[in-house]
Amino acid sequence: MRVATIALHTFKESVRQKVLYNLVAFALLLIGAAILFGSISVGVEQIILVTLGLTSISVFGLLIAIFIGIDLVSKEIERRTIYNILSKPVSRVEFILGKYLGLLLTLFVNTAVMTAGFYAALFYQKGALVRGDLVFLGAVYFILLELAMVVGIAVVFSCISTPVLSVVCTFCLYVIGNFSADLRVFGQETQNALLGTVCDILYYSLPNFGNFNVISQVAHAEKIPSYLWVGNSFYALLYLVVLMSIAILIFEEREFR
Amino acid sequence: MTLSSASAPEPKPRQRVCWVLLLLCLLGLIPIQRRIDSRRANDTGAAEVLFLPSGEFLRQFSLGYEGLLADIYWTRVVQYFGRKRLAHSTEFTLLGPLLQITTDLDPHLLVAYRFGSIFLADKVPQGAGQPQEALVLLRRGIVANPDYWRLWEDVGFIYYWDLKDYPAAARAFLAGSERPGAMDWMRVLAARVAAQGGQLDTSKFLWSEIAHQAGNAQIRKNAEDHLMAFKAEEDIAKLDELLALFNSRQGRPARSLQALVVAGYLRSLPRDPSGVPYLLDPSGRVRLGPRSSVDLGLLE
Repeated sequence: MRVATIALHTFKESVRQKVLYNLVAFALLLIGAAILFGSISVGVEQIILVTLGLTSISVFGLLIAIFIGIDLVSKEIERRTIYNILSKPVSRVEFILGKYLGLLLTLFVNTAVMTAGFYAALFYQKGALVRGDLVFLGAVYFILLELAMVVGIAVVFSCISTPVLSVVCTFCLYVIGNFSADLRVFGQETQNALLGTVCDILYYSLPNFGNFNVISQVAHAEKIPSYLWVGNSFYALLYLVVLMSIAILIFEEREFR
Repeated sequence: MTLSSASAPEPKPRQRVCWVLLLLCLLGLIPIQRRIDSRRANDTGAAEVLFLPSGEFLRQFSLGYEGLLADIYWTRVVQYFGRKRLAHSTEFTLLGPLLQITTDLDPHLLVAYRFGSIFLADKVPQGAGQPQEALVLLRRGIVANPDYWRLWEDVGFIYYWDLKDYPAAARAFLAGSERPGAMDWMRVLAARVAAQGGQLDTSKFLWSEIAHQAGNAQIRKNAEDHLMAFKAEEDIAKLDELLALFNSRQGRPARSLQALVVAGYLRSLPRDPSGVPYLLDPSGRVRLGPRSSVDLGLLE
């Protein structure tokens, strides 16, 4: 119950931030512009709209996740409101989980708005929406899973570092997470057994965001295979437990002066 | 002196739970990731699409950053080609168009013409197996960079190696030799290709040129291996001639190469370029020794 209360307050606090509206507005603008980009190309109008639209949702969602996520804990410390919260019967675990879920709710609402804009653009281009267009919701679901992990990473860094450094670290980890497949190939190609093992350990312990990228696939109206639905859902869930555990362990040990 | 010992604080039950959860979930990620990897490897990739097929269009919209964009596209070419090679793919659909865009954006990006033509011309699966496309790319490069003689050299190589069109190769080498700064051997090469039409000497000449020029140790080693094979093949041909001479003069075939030394046809037992003595097999043919590092298969 206390977690839900903190989550709701975090959500209300997040939606008050102007940067959120700016980012959503930019995303919607870009999704609308995808219609224009499509019209100056040949034969790939819908592919461009879908690719650019879903990429906009992903990129702007990422920006929202990082820029609001890193403020979650650090702002409470900076404004010293953390003393008021923790002096009440609220445990640190509840505080972290509540903050995290609040931001997740914010992201969910924003993604829903951007998805609505995306489908509106699709409707404008095609003149009608068909059942096959539901496949794009699968990509949006994967984007949400990815964003949930990014917020988790942002929360972890927010517990240990300054906001600026947290932004940099979260973004770097996101980039690394998108190249982890290359890390694995590098490990396989190398002749050094030690280096190969290190690459394997990194491959399995760093977040693998490549799993969630199905934008090109759905742009070609290909169905998302069931193993990806199940695999990605469990992967994100386990990784979130890992991230939350790390955040809680750090936050439990942190002293506020 | 007093000794003080500070013991680490006991972890709280909540922290223990967190540690256990963390480790269990990290371990749980491994089978999930493995399953995704194994299934995804079997999935057929989505159709390849070039969203903006015109380099000219991109140039207009690059806001003056066409050089940077060309670099990005060239990197994309390399990544595309590398990915296809790693996947042992035989389809290189986007290679030509990507190279076209790169060179449209920066017509002076010589590396894109030179390496791009190799990517295009090499036989499948080493390359795209499109030598004609490679020639089109190089000709566009020559139009944009008329003084750069190396592009003519590349044209000549493609005609020589991939298309086996020796007169066209000779014309390309000759055209290149007339450009400012061209190496002297370009004219020699043109003459040899024109005169001999792909004979042993010409091949040797090309490989020795590569062996001298190559900055990469592996390429140099490959060229040297070819040169050793040429030398061994020449030696074997000469030894076969001497054996035939021995047979006609002595009225019997030589039982070993030592017989040629004893009869005064050779000063010493002949050795191949790797230093291993040649052998005479029971059928009377000269062959390489079992320890020889010369690979005659390179010439096939």
